[in-house]
Amino acid sequence: MSGLLRHPRAHLLLRLVLGGFFVFASLDKIASPAAFAKIVYQWQVIGPVPSNLVAVTLPWIELVAGLLLIAGVWKRESALVVALMLVVFIVAAGSVMARGIDVENCGCVSVAKGGPPAAWPPAWTKGVGWFLVSRNLVLLAASLVLVLVTPAWPGSPAPTPGANGPRSDAG
Amino acid sequence: MHWDRACYFRDMAVHWKRFILILVTGAAAGLAWNGASGRGFALGRSVLVQAGDELVEVADAGALLKRGALFLDARPRDFWRMSRIPGSLPLPEEEFDRAFAEAEPQLRRASGIVVYCSGFGCEASHIVARKLRERGFIAAILNEGLPAWQDAGLPVDTEPRS
Repeated sequence: MSGLLRHPRAHLLLRLVLGGFFVFASLDKIASPAAFAKIVYQWQVIGPVPSNLVAVTLPWIELVAGLLLIAGVWKRESALVVALMLVVFIVAAGSVMARGIDVENCGCVSVAKGGPPAAWPPAWTKGVGWFLVSRNLVLLAASLVLVLVTPAWPGSPAPTPGANGPRSDAG
Repeated sequence: MHWDRACYFRDMAVHWKRFILILVTGAAAGLAWNGASGRGFALGRSVLVQAGDELVEVADAGALLKRGALFLDARPRDFWRMSRIPGSLPLPEEEFDRAFAEAEPQLRRASGIVVYCSGFGCEASHIVARKLRERGFIAAILNEGLPAWQDAGLPVDTEPRS
């Protein structure tokens, strides 16, 4: 298991999946910022004006971090940004669920307004609920692997403390 | 397992300037896009408020209730059945035409009309007020809806209705 988490190809796969997901998730929100703002309001975590700022800036942070992950540039830092966003999403979703607020479309990847129920994808994949929290926990685990684990080919020596930057003893 | 092998992040090195730069670049791009793309919106007020919408704050709405204004509940009818501002009528957005026909005689007699729904994230009261305006009725929208009304300690009728 430890070898798998260190394997460079595993890191490449995680970066492409995470980065691709976040780029995809940002596009509809960037195209329709006002529609996304309405969805942020429905979460009722912060007031209208702070929600506006979140609606305008968050998708672009998702896009920048996602593109960096795909490109393999500033991998650890962009993965940390993604991890931070996922923690915020998980806490906010927990707050929405605890208060019993019904959010039909979480606004995670689409800002389409809730129309008549479609057969696919099922409604429970779009709203704020346990599916969303579980999916975000999986994505968070993936992003933390990219933050915390230094890739190394099997058989190569373990990374030497101090070999990877000024904060080599962090953690 | 030896500590060196067990601790994956022993050699972790996050460049915090890069981390901050990603956040700042994303936020700046978002603000620039909002200002220059033509798809943006005014950040200083609720995006639900459009030209022609008339908002009423909860304190003023309480005074309007005492003066006999008619309150309309734009939430789904089941919510109105459970609890409502005293004397309010159901006028749900999703069944507007039918509910409007039921409420029209009282709307014509009303000295003032206030529409509310379930908070600042709820658009239904805005939509219902606009539909009423199209039909010649001037209706104010209760800012931040029923939660603000309850927070202000104003009365709520919780007797179940059929």
